[in-house]
Amino acid sequence: MDASTPRSSRTTDDDAPLDPRDALALLEAEHTRTQRQLEPDARLLYGVWGAAWLVGFLVLWTSATGRGPLVLPAPAAGATFALLLGAAVVVTGVHSARRLAGVRGTSSTQGAMYGWAWLLGFGCIGSILVATGGSGASPEVMGVLSSALSGLVVGLLYLAGGAMWQDRAQYSLGVWILVASAAGAVAGYPTNLLVMSLLGGGGFLVAALVVAVRGRSA
Amino acid sequence: MTAEEVALPDLDPVIHAPARLRLMAGLAALGDDDRIAFPRLQKLQDLTAGNLGAHLRKLEDAGYVAVEKTHQGRTPATYVSLTRRGRQALEDHTAALRALLEPVTARASRPDDPELR
Repeated sequence: MDASTPRSSRTTDDDAPLDPRDALALLEAEHTRTQRQLEPDARLLYGVWGAAWLVGFLVLWTSATGRGPLVLPAPAAGATFALLLGAAVVVTGVHSARRLAGVRGTSSTQGAMYGWAWLLGFGCIGSILVATGGSGASPEVMGVLSSALSGLVVGLLYLAGGAMWQDRAQYSLGVWILVASAAGAVAGYPTNLLVMSLLGGGGFLVAALVVAVRGRSA
Repeated sequence: MTAEEVALPDLDPVIHAPARLRLMAGLAALGDDDRIAFPRLQKLQDLTAGNLGAHLRKLEDAGYVAVEKTHQGRTPATYVSLTRRGRQALEDHTAALRALLEPVTARASRPDDPELR
């Protein structure tokens, strides 16, 4: 500390005036801290979805191919997949609702509209799959369609979110998920399950890591 | 007597107290059209309800924050937001703090580090 920059000692008194340097530091720290508290933690959300995709799709793939150390019968594999994704939905919903609680105005309206986009997108996928299954699509077609459609909606919504909040990490993740879904569809069933697990789930985990590293350096 | 002490009276006394500075900075982190519920703000600021209420009153008297009392169903709810005037006051205050530091930092810092944060 240079002798020409005298600093008043830090005080706990609420009304004591602050040294300008301390005041600026306080302003900046409080602004950043509050902002972080008011938005969902991307590390947590990407981490949870990455784990759910990585394990969930892998269980489906080992069950479909009979390869790997743990081969579950198809119904058990399907239930495990549904359970993992359901858990990720619950964690996302509860965490986001907590972070947004008590805030009203443009940003909460934006958040709610965006949240509904996910629900509507997956509701639509559900009816498409029921309809195609009912029209006699083969299990192979259903296997390609279900993960490709999910990847399409997830990828596009991350592109939209990245554009709306000017979040490059989120936008990049959206691009990556679209690429992984397209690659999976081209590879066909059941290889697409392995692609979704490793590239899709792995992509989420890399995104979580990138956000974590960037947050620490910021 | 240092330059800072001479110049301190120029700073807005309503804002330039640690608790209210934190409060203003926290409210400024909300979006332009956003309001925050009193209990959530209290948790974020880690203040007692009485303490937060007292500081908010001072800021409201200065026209820096708007306190809106509404009802959610039957329970009364209070929402707080920074006014346009409050946001401007905080910006002016930040600029004043930077200006105060500038001569000091210019003297103290190395020429290879001219950027002020």
